[in-house]
Amino acid sequence: MTTPHHVDPSTEQSLSIWFFVGVLMLACGVIIFCEGIYEFSHPPATVLANLHPAFWWGLLMTLFGGFYTIRFRPGKG
Amino acid sequence: MMLATQLTHLAPVDVVILLLYFAMVIFIGFYVKGSTNTSEEFFLAGREMSAWIAGLSFVSANLGSLELMGWAGAAYQYGILATHWYWIGAIPAMLFLGIVMMPFYYISKTHSVPGYLQLRFGEGARGLSGVCFAFMTVLMSGVNMYSMALVMKVVLGWNINFSMWVGAITVAIYVMLGGLRSAIINEVLQFVLIWAGAALIPILGLIEAGGWTSLKAQIIARMGDPAYMHLWSTIGSFDTNPMGVHWTGIVFGLGFVISFGYWTTDFLVVQRVLSANNLRAARLAPIIGSAFKMFVPFFVILPGLLALVLLKDSAGHIIQLYPDGSDMVVNHGAHSFNEVLPLMMVRYLGPGLLGLGITALVAGFMSGMAGNVSAFSTVWTYDIYGAYINKKASDAHYVLMGRWSTIIGMAVSVGTAYLVMGAASIMDYVQELFSFFIAPLFGTVILGMLWKRATKAGGFWGLLAGTAASIGMWLAVLHDKANIRFMILEPHASADTILRVQAMAANLYRALWSWCVCVLVTVVVSYMTKPMPEASLTGLVYGSTVIPHDGSTNLFEKPMFWAIVVATVLFVLNLWLW
Repeated sequence: MTTPHHVDPSTEQSLSIWFFVGVLMLACGVIIFCEGIYEFSHPPATVLANLHPAFWWGLLMTLFGGFYTIRFRPGKG
Repeated sequence: MMLATQLTHLAPVDVVILLLYFAMVIFIGFYVKGSTNTSEEFFLAGREMSAWIAGLSFVSANLGSLELMGWAGAAYQYGILATHWYWIGAIPAMLFLGIVMMPFYYISKTHSVPGYLQLRFGEGARGLSGVCFAFMTVLMSGVNMYSMALVMKVVLGWNINFSMWVGAITVAIYVMLGGLRSAIINEVLQFVLIWAGAALIPILGLIEAGGWTSLKAQIIARMGDPAYMHLWSTIGSFDTNPMGVHWTGIVFGLGFVISFGYWTTDFLVVQRVLSANNLRAARLAPIIGSAFKMFVPFFVILPGLLALVLLKDSAGHIIQLYPDGSDMVVNHGAHSFNEVLPLMMVRYLGPGLLGLGITALVAGFMSGMAGNVSAFSTVWTYDIYGAYINKKASDAHYVLMGRWSTIIGMAVSVGTAYLVMGAASIMDYVQELFSFFIAPLFGTVILGMLWKRATKAGGFWGLLAGTAASIGMWLAVLHDKANIRFMILEPHASADTILRVQAMAANLYRALWSWCVCVLVTVVVSYMTKPMPEASLTGLVYGSTVIPHDGSTNLFEKPMFWAIVVATVLFVLNLWLW
């Protein structure tokens, strides 16, 4: 019932799991970062909005996602 | 948890983030289908996962949204004691799995926990555990589905049928196409999403509270009871802590039986580690998982504690939360304990961030369904269909059966979800059902792995007796709550004590006693039956198995080194919050 295939999906396939993680974080990060910029002029009605969490969190996610997207981009092996 | 009005609504930017997540999981399903052609690939992700991926997936399979919201609510209700379920109630067992048990699971090349029981104790034990497990997983998947729909209704006002069907169809598509591999990829995504979506709440909460020391002082002042902020010093008696627990229940019931049972024998989590690409990765995966598990209380327990002093209405008055189903919740529109996490989200997260938080919750629910349904299809195909119904089919046939059983499993889950919708108490029963089986199963597996003298008959009758004992105790308490006093060994316990312990301690002691019954019956029956030949135990039992070197070349590659690091940090954290 078993036929092992010696293929490592995290290295030999064209898209690794970490690439998916990177793309999702990058996309969400960019969206939240842009929203954060908009919120400088239109602050939301949440507690501590004066700290601009969307801007900073979005920036952090963009950097994290960007790093993983580039580091594990297709074809890099 | 029903409310007349929803907590919040999503802005367009939140919807975009949610849709992005759905698009990605569907894409992943179609993408990995191309490399999911054999049964090993479909059911065990080809045993190709690195230690990090298997470890994150291992911890993530347990990080369901129902768990997150429930334990945030428990932290609000019982204080920091809820942390025990993440620390002593998880970490030692995860380390034990990695260091002691994993080599046997891995060397035996079993595809499932019932599969290991078949190798060690024969068809009887495999059949019993396989059928119970398959039954439980589809029910749990249904509970997850209904919970997600209910949360979406309460938080966002979405239609329950819409949420259930969208969740069920999405999960069915990606698990049917990609099997365990697609479930694992989504679990890793969910893990990252939960950190990204939830970590901001405790950070902002601590800023608002003025830091940890100030938060502690505020909570003690508000509750008038320092017990809310201590892990160990208040559990010398059932009556001196808000949870009504005793340290023996926490250490032996939770820390030993329940936790070891869940983390080392529940196939839902063990399956993730079996997907590792070598023995060292399989041993490291639970240890990596445990390191992350240790920090989950940061975004689960801490928001619950923060809410005790920070959750205020527009006039600045602290909002009081109540138990689910209580008069205040049902008739006066108050919020329940379980809503504490969404309430804190709404408090701090504006557009975009809220979408991320909601997406993390949805991902948690969907991954809970996917985990259950992928484990179901494996156990159904290998341990029921392949073992008893059609033993000699081709590999391709079993893969096809795996895909079909995923769809059928999801259909049964949808049925369960509607059943739960009709009678909410079914949900509690389903969650209880799981506990009937897991504690005795741990007794059977651990004796099987560590004790050569355990025989096939001993394993089977021990498992059956332990499960029956667990059900018996549950029925006895259902019949008359006062029977709890025998389980906690306090025959003269007052009505007040019984009321305090019935929620938490009863489960801990039921698990403990059912494990003891299982072990006792296994030992007695084993001594009454003929020992198994040594040769048949090779690769299955400690003492009859030469465990190969795991390939680590230096200290930092050794699983034992990292297990000691994690254990030390756990010890220090417990001392800190003693």
